Amino acid sequence: MIYCYNCGCHLSKPDFCTSCGADVTLYKKVMHISNMYYNEGLEKAGVRDLTGAVVSLRQSLKFNKNNLKARNLLGLVYFEMGEVVTALSEWVISKNIRPEKNIADEYIEKVRSNSTRLESINQTIKKYNRSLALCCQGSKDLAVIQLKKVLSMNPRFIRAHQLLALLYMDGEDWERAERELRKCMDIDKNNLQTMRYLKEVEAMLMPDEGVKQPAKRRKEEAIRYQSENELIIRPVNVKEPKRSGMSTLVNLAIGLIIGMAGIYFLVVPAAQSKVRNEDQQIITKISSESDTKTARIQELENQITKLQADMEALHGQIDGFVGQDGTLQSIERLLAVSAGYLESRDVFAAEAELLSIGQSVDLGAMTEGYGRLYQAVFAAIKPELATSYFTQGSNYYKIAEYAEAVSAFQKAVEYNAEDIESLFMLGEAYRMGGDTENAIATYDKVMELFPGTWRANSAKQSKSRLTGIW
Amino acid sequence: MINFEEELKKFHPSLEVEEAEDAIYNQDLTDMADLLVKMIMGSGQGAAQGLEEEQ
Repeated sequence: MIYCYNCGCHLSKPDFCTSCGADVTLYKKVMHISNMYYNEGLEKAGVRDLTGAVVSLRQSLKFNKNNLKARNLLGLVYFEMGEVVTALSEWVISKNIRPEKNIADEYIEKVRSNSTRLESINQTIKKYNRSLALCCQGSKDLAVIQLKKVLSMNPRFIRAHQLLALLYMDGEDWERAERELRKCMDIDKNNLQTMRYLKEVEAMLMPDEGVKQPAKRRKEEAIRYQSENELIIRPVNVKEPKRSGMSTLVNLAIGLIIGMAGIYFLVVPAAQSKVRNEDQQIITKISSESDTKTARIQELENQITKLQADMEALHGQIDGFVGQDGTLQSIERLLAVSAGYLESRDVFAAEAELLSIGQSVDLGAMTEGYGRLYQAVFAAIKPELATSYFTQGSNYYKIAEYAEAVSAFQKAVEYNAEDIESLFMLGEAYRMGGDTENAIATYDKVMELFPGTWRANSAKQSKSRLTGIW
Repeated sequence: MINFEEELKKFHPSLEVEEAEDAIYNQDLTDMADLLVKMIMGSGQGAAQGLEEEQ
């Protein structure tokens, strides 16, 4: 089914779109080439030429990226070659192109549904990468052990087979290398790299291939003829040896000895090898389970660390509420100050407590109600504080304790900035205490804030007295 | 004769599950059909502009 690139309608036989009239000659050709490559890839995959199938299917997708059959098949081929992540990537793209009624969905679900299997696949890939790094570092023995583990978990991983074969070839263990390469050939029959390695291995295993030729020729030198229903083959120049009773017994004894030796040298090692292989498989299985569990333990340890950090943060928050200088403690202090003031009307004690709270608590970070209560209590005691401090200042002024008087008048001004008497008396206390500069500044403030009042005139006179300018 | 070091260079690390997302995002999905459609659309616009200029 081909759809018009312009209007999306189904295209029929003519070389133009019957719906919008767009010329679709070339477009149809591109789609046909894509399908042709897909068919080629399908045929190659059918005869296990996986490398060839990958090439054809990639070509098909280069012509039409939306050829979902080609993309899904490419994923399957990669999966068969042990390249699980690449396969998953292709299926994810396919699912993204068509989210509904897509077989890629089923493939992805099959891989994802078994989390142990997915973890095992990831471990396999990590181990393969590690063994490749070990090869580059020259630790070939370790790389061989890792690759064997990889292949026990994912026997279809072609690249791992090839790398293991290459390591065996490097160690001149040609028979094992051949075995690995044969396994590769069983999975992918036309892999160029495998074929190249195999050619090298075969050349090393059978260097005198030409020597065997005469034996074949000798076989051909037999005389064959049909006698009734039987085919008689009589070799030329071969004579039957003459047999005697003694020689038969000797031959029998030799045969028995050879047979027993054969059992000892062939069957026993094979049995031992079988037991060893089984042990090796068990070790590999335990090792793989151990790796998975190690990963799980690591994950759980990370979770514990995170939870501990969270717990500490929560403890910190709880301390912020109930601990020393915590929110609850601060609220309690403010309530105690309010209650104390209401009971005793001691403004100085209330002021001291409120200032202490203001220094130890960040009012901006507290609740709105707390801030309002703090401000309300302070606002309630301010007028009385201003009056008290003015009285206190006046008393100090009268007994010529000007420094204390200045301090008290400053407080009175701070709590009631509109009180002209306090401000003027502050200037007077400065003047009498010999602080001319601050006295002039305070008189200026009186004249500026309360112009036209009699205190402003007094301030002006006092300033003139100090500066000598009238 | 196969050279081990040279052959080893032909092997590359396999994609891990954590890297799959990046691999998918970084894949260039432009195909021949895209290029063809772009060319056809481009030539169509060019022809339309030519007609407008003639008029």
